[in-house]
Amino acid sequence: MRRAAALILAAALGAATAALAAPDAAWTWRLPAWLPPPVVPADNPMSEAKVDLGRRLFYDKRLSADGSMSCASCHEQARAFSDGRRTPSGVTGESHPRNSMSLANVAYLPVLTWANPLLTRLEHQALIPIFGESPVEMGMVGREDELFARLASDPAYPPRFRAAFPETGGRIDLASITRALAAFQRTLVSADSPYDRYRYGGQADAISPAAKRGEALFFSERLECFHCHGGVHLTDNLVHSRKPFAEYAFHNTGLHDRDGKGAYPPDNTGLVEHTGRPEDMGRFRTPSLRNVELTAPYMHDGSIATLEEAIAHYAAGGRRRSPLTSEFLPGFMLSAEETQDLIAFLRALTDRRFVEDPRFADPWQDAVPR
Amino acid sequence: MNKSGIALATFVAMALLTQTAVAQQDRKVSIRFAAVIGDQPFTCGNSYEGIGTTASKVTPSDFRFYVSGVELIDAAGKAVPVKLDQDERWQHRDVALLDFENRTGPCLTGTQETRDIVAGTVPAGTYRGLRFTLGVPFELNHADATIAPSPLNLTSLFWNWQAGYKFLRVDLSTKGRPQDIKPGDMPRFGDRAASNRLGFAIHLGSTMCAAEGTNKAPANCGNPNRPTIEFSSFDPEKDVVLADLKSVLEGVDVDTNQAESPAGCMSTPTDGDCNPLLRNFGLVFAGQPAQQKFFRVKK
Repeated sequence: MRRAAALILAAALGAATAALAAPDAAWTWRLPAWLPPPVVPADNPMSEAKVDLGRRLFYDKRLSADGSMSCASCHEQARAFSDGRRTPSGVTGESHPRNSMSLANVAYLPVLTWANPLLTRLEHQALIPIFGESPVEMGMVGREDELFARLASDPAYPPRFRAAFPETGGRIDLASITRALAAFQRTLVSADSPYDRYRYGGQADAISPAAKRGEALFFSERLECFHCHGGVHLTDNLVHSRKPFAEYAFHNTGLHDRDGKGAYPPDNTGLVEHTGRPEDMGRFRTPSLRNVELTAPYMHDGSIATLEEAIAHYAAGGRRRSPLTSEFLPGFMLSAEETQDLIAFLRALTDRRFVEDPRFADPWQDAVPR
Repeated sequence: MNKSGIALATFVAMALLTQTAVAQQDRKVSIRFAAVIGDQPFTCGNSYEGIGTTASKVTPSDFRFYVSGVELIDAAGKAVPVKLDQDERWQHRDVALLDFENRTGPCLTGTQETRDIVAGTVPAGTYRGLRFTLGVPFELNHADATIAPSPLNLTSLFWNWQAGYKFLRVDLSTKGRPQDIKPGDMPRFGDRAASNRLGFAIHLGSTMCAAEGTNKAPANCGNPNRPTIEFSSFDPEKDVVLADLKSVLEGVDVDTNQAESPAGCMSTPTDGDCNPLLRNFGLVFAGQPAQQKFFRVKK
């Protein structure tokens, strides 16, 4: 009933004049008071109808060539919208060189993917998994008309497109599909971990004494973790509505050195692919550590399987140090107890409510067969 | 009608006459292109022998490219822009798509419609030469693809990873690299060999577009990869511009792919498979000189 009301409201707003048809006015971010709302592009305001549509598309395998994959195939809610694989494969079986990233708090990222500074908008990024060819992911390249027809033929969709995009009469096209997907993804906010309740919510006992000792280690000059994994989402990549200056950063974490000069494998060179600057070899964007317990394996190539291994990697100052390795990897000694404390802290970043929130779950489960 | 009214009417009439006179001086041009492999025309599903250093047999599954900045060169040597017809299909602003595949046989990612002309108008005059750029101009290349008009809204020509378009797309199944991946194949998760079944792709486009290394829209690209082609002798009434796949693959081994690199050449500056291919398009690659071999004029 509430959804019906929202649809009617969105439709009514759409019928009003263009000046009044700002569906954003009908959108309320449900965020803790300490967390500023994300930035929403002016040309894709949020609305309940658009988010509802985007959620259906996100979980719809008809967005892939053979109906075998949806966005959720590599971004599972139970894993904080990552997929547990070292690297995923697309519909043709071709392996992707990169590990599937968690989508938690993606709305707060000024740069979206592992190493592409050109990808700053979810609306544009969505084209890559659906239509990309190197590698093939969902394999819909050259089949956009078929995609539009598939969606138009399901009675579930046309009314939802009309409610979400009244200004175009609900046209099913690249713009509406990518905008709806982006709007849904912007709602994937994770900010209710035990650590959030402890750090921002004033609940002194929300995390264990071990996690508190781990927090002190994490934010110490000895370990240097916080230099890159700082800020509200534990990454040095952040933009939000009260922060006019987007911060973004890419680092070389000493994973490869093929030639003594820091070369990474040619299919996974990092930022240098887009800048051409030799010093950008092996630089990848810092992922958020929120829900890190659920997002293994780690690193851009999924080459580190567990939190223990990740800590050992940084303790060693990198697996293959090179002249390009970040200065924030000095290496450190950590006792077994301290390692367990650090892991207790990292586990306190797991937001159970986020991974169980029905607003983010598959909306098709009890509906039409797929 | 008062005197000023008559004056105004006269002025309007003269203005209309002048406009008509100018319009009469404009000349329709239709610059013809053809896709060939040596001396044979390109057709989806046909195979062609004797290609590249291994004299490979290849079956192309796509053959499309964008041209822009088309100019005719007059008798005095002056380049005059061709004002492209804005047909909302093949041409937008000063970009035109040329499309020689018809989505039959192995041409799975294309469109049924084909196009072999650039249509527009030039001022009346005598023209003896032709100049054009292979590619999409910078400003349009980096605009929002999700709302772009035709012909910039074909997903098979999107190159979103590089924030732009494939300026040219020719995909090959070759003797050494048969292309046997098809949309609709059942997924075989973890099949790392799958990328070896992608054939040999030729995707030309701008790379290294984040020269400033910021998260802003690209201001320039390290490798624009937009060659300008000029023919000093070209009769727009009779001549045809041939785009020859065999010539552009001279010196290229289409049967092997450099390890850990994209299938074929996707304009990656470190991919040895692009040398001498990009040079044959008229682009300097790895500091080595370019000699355009793709286009020639058929009289």
